[in-house]
Amino acid sequence: MVQVRGVAKAYPVPGGEFPALSGVDVAVDAGEFTAVVGRSGSGKTTLLNLLAGIDRPTAGEIWVAGTAVHEVPETRLAAWRGRAVGLVFQFFQLLPTLTVAENVMLPMDFCGTVPARRRRPLALELLDRVGIAEHADKVPAGLSGGQQQRAAIARALANDPPVILADEPTGNLDSATAGAILTLFRELAHAGKAVVMVTHERDLSGYVDRQVTLVDGRVAEDVAVSR
Amino acid sequence: MRPRTVKMWRDLVAARGRVALMILAIAVAMSGVGALLIARTVIVREAAAVYAGTNPASATLEVQGGVDAALLAQVRTRPGVTDAAARQTVLTRVRVGDQWRRMLLFVIAPDDPMRVAKLRLESGAWPPADGELLIERTAGPVLDAAAGDRLAVAGPSGATTEVRVSGTVYDAALAPAGQESTGYGYLTPAGLARLGFTASADELRIVTSERDEASVEATATAVAAWLTAQGRQVHLIQAPPYQHPHHSQSETITGMFLAFAVAALVLAGVLVAATLGGMLAAQTRQIGIMKTVGATTGQLLRVHLGAVAVIAASATVLAVGPALLAGYGLSGLVAEMLNVEIGSRALPWWVPASYLAAGLAIPLLVALVPLVRAARITVRAALDDHGAGTEVGGRRTDRWLTRLRGGRLSTLALRNLMRRRGRLALTLALLAAGGAMFTSGLNSSAAWRSWVDDGMARRAYDAQLRLASSAPVDTITGAATAVDGVVAAEPFVSLVATPATADGRIEVQRTYPDDGHGRFLLAALPVPTRMVDFEVTAGRWLQAGDTDGVVLNQSAVSRLGDPRVGDDVHLAVDGVVGRWRLVGTIAEAGGPATAYASPQSVSRFVEPGTANMLHIITDGDPGVVAGELEAALNSMGVLVGESMLTEDLRTAIDEHVAIFIGTLLALATLMAAVGVLGLAATMSITVTQRTREYGVMQAIGARPAIIRRMVVLEGTLTGLLGSLVAIVLGVPLSVLVGELLGTISFGLPLPLRLAPGGLVAWLLLSVAAAAAATLVAARRAARLTVRETLSYQ
Repeated sequence: MVQVRGVAKAYPVPGGEFPALSGVDVAVDAGEFTAVVGRSGSGKTTLLNLLAGIDRPTAGEIWVAGTAVHEVPETRLAAWRGRAVGLVFQFFQLLPTLTVAENVMLPMDFCGTVPARRRRPLALELLDRVGIAEHADKVPAGLSGGQQQRAAIARALANDPPVILADEPTGNLDSATAGAILTLFRELAHAGKAVVMVTHERDLSGYVDRQVTLVDGRVAEDVAVSR
Repeated sequence: MRPRTVKMWRDLVAARGRVALMILAIAVAMSGVGALLIARTVIVREAAAVYAGTNPASATLEVQGGVDAALLAQVRTRPGVTDAAARQTVLTRVRVGDQWRRMLLFVIAPDDPMRVAKLRLESGAWPPADGELLIERTAGPVLDAAAGDRLAVAGPSGATTEVRVSGTVYDAALAPAGQESTGYGYLTPAGLARLGFTASADELRIVTSERDEASVEATATAVAAWLTAQGRQVHLIQAPPYQHPHHSQSETITGMFLAFAVAALVLAGVLVAATLGGMLAAQTRQIGIMKTVGATTGQLLRVHLGAVAVIAASATVLAVGPALLAGYGLSGLVAEMLNVEIGSRALPWWVPASYLAAGLAIPLLVALVPLVRAARITVRAALDDHGAGTEVGGRRTDRWLTRLRGGRLSTLALRNLMRRRGRLALTLALLAAGGAMFTSGLNSSAAWRSWVDDGMARRAYDAQLRLASSAPVDTITGAATAVDGVVAAEPFVSLVATPATADGRIEVQRTYPDDGHGRFLLAALPVPTRMVDFEVTAGRWLQAGDTDGVVLNQSAVSRLGDPRVGDDVHLAVDGVVGRWRLVGTIAEAGGPATAYASPQSVSRFVEPGTANMLHIITDGDPGVVAGELEAALNSMGVLVGESMLTEDLRTAIDEHVAIFIGTLLALATLMAAVGVLGLAATMSITVTQRTREYGVMQAIGARPAIIRRMVVLEGTLTGLLGSLVAIVLGVPLSVLVGELLGTISFGLPLPLRLAPGGLVAWLLLSVAAAAAATLVAARRAARLTVRETLSYQ
């Protein structure tokens, strides 16, 4: 579902270039929950941004859900992203003036994937799936951090994308809530999604299927995690 | 409703204060646009309709000996002539209290079918009895008379005859009587004869089948040639433009004011663009998030444009009432000024269509640039936006600013001011544009008044007397100097002239039947004269020995095709063509097109040593002194046809421009309002965007009062900077407006005059508005807790 082949990414800095990623090869299958770990500055978020088409690789190829992301023109990236990828952020990034349900309906609206009259029932269904259906008509500020992150996950699932990308999704949550969110990701992976999560968390056993460790922009380790 | 639409609505509701400012700014501008659009449309249409409704003569031929019924019947059959009438106009005076007033008597035969230059009877009956006349409906106040009253009308001998006012008529072809300081009366030839005048219908008024200038001229000239062939002498051909005497001024000035109002709308559009740009800058991360969930640039742009459309549409609808009120009010005032009766207030379809198009399209177009910029931001850039102020960097001004030492607060405020240079530039542009238009409005108004004041100051004489016929200069001077209160007197010659060509062809005059608008005079003043001191714009004033020298005022220059100093100028008086050499041009406020020449050069037209006009300088009440002088002249057998005080001329000029000055000032205020609203909106955004920073400052010990003072100081500096730019920009704009207004009104650009009161008012207004606008936002920011400010998104 996700193929990263010989990817490099360098950022221009005064006096030359800073190599954020070099020769990275990663593959993630459907139904697999993969964690990308590493220290700060190891290139985790850069890799996630490349997978989401937020950034472009300097070299190499990135294939996501059958699309050569590195070749998609800028003007078509947003529409592709809305359908193929669900993104989850550390600080939830829900739109503050929309209710939770409306936040979930937003990707359906932009991508036109679901008929207008079907959007709210589907949003409520997704919120029920992540366990916060009763908060559907509240604005994000009225929810706890964990509830907001669940709402963000429901939004990421709105267009039923095959790939879920999560950037430090538990970084702003207490350990109990973080555990619940990781469980939710695992369930999504086992339901057929390819889930890629960038995280600082070290102890992910019991949740993820694979763990890719990045060190200074290179893959230092890529191992299956036993449960 | 779609979530994206819901978001747009809620964002607008959340920012309701700023949205209200934007709506108010556009509504204020749209009120002006709508009002001017309505006023211009109604006035231009109604003036044209009313004037055309009188079926005015295309041309008037002055035929010596008058035109009888048989000749008139023949003229009606001439090629190109659709109708004709024989009339007579007599200029005389009427006694009103202890003063004389100018009076034009229009003489119409009882059997005149009244198809040409039609009148509408408002009260009384036509024809009036021999001892009666009808007056134009606007002439009542000038004559201090109404139907049933008696008027003391002067005859050719100066003796007055009482005539009863039997009713009123509406003559749409005339400017209001008050504006011209002239009474208009309508009577029959028998009524005229009763006053002592010789009734002779010497004005042949023809209506031509084609109304364009060339066709009218061709037909009138052909009729004149035919009359000459019949042994009738044609002195003069007058063919005024086929429009109301004040039509083109009104059309041009209302057009210019409309342009002003549209400029205010563009300004309001910039305000919306700046405000929305600021609001979207605060939502950069939200834009990034929307893009990560699939929003395209086009979709986001449409959402943002939708917000502008909602704001613009609300304002446009809100302004409909004020626009209608002001538009119809202004059209009523201008109609009164033109003596136009508004028959229909209906607006053609394109007026509301243009109004709506302007109200929606201009703000949308102006806002397009910042909206496109906001929508096109990349996801990466949007997500990396933390709202932190890292704008101060390595630019030269930054380094200069960091070296700047002063009070802690003032230094900080100044550095903050220079951080977002784009925003600062926009704020200043908004404030400067509003201020420049405000100050230029006041400057133009000051220039207008100053031009008239100066023009009046250049006329040393207090009164001008027109004699019924020429009299020896010595007799006139002797009579004048014998009257108490006359300090100086200068008799001179003034003749009605017609531009002519070198080959002796007399050109058709553009004079209206009121004998005022479009008139061309040849005046022979003593050389040197102490009565006038006109500003010489080229060449020189007349000198002794200028036997064929002539000086033209700006209107005469224009009428004669812009000759240069040294060129020959040909003028005809009573059919006799003379040649002069142009020695100079002058600027003259008020008065018709006039060529000034020496007394010797007009000796071929009048008996040498005689004069028909008199200028006097008095040291008492000019009205009383002029009255006494007139009595003295009358007792010597020198009859006075007309006496005009210089202060009355001033009143006539002021009456012509009062409404336009008022409208200009109203528009200037409107501009100022939009500018100040813009400043308030952008300052509020600036403060809101720095909320997080204020949290940091509070976290390290700054008290709310310090933050408040710093923000207000920054706002005040912006207001000060903006008003200074406005004052500077207002100068070239004033020159431009003055050039247009002056050329339309007086045929010359207005001089540049700065209105110090206006400049100071704008300075105080903008600084106070800036301080007030920032104070509101600063108070709000200072009330937030440190935790709230640091978590502000």
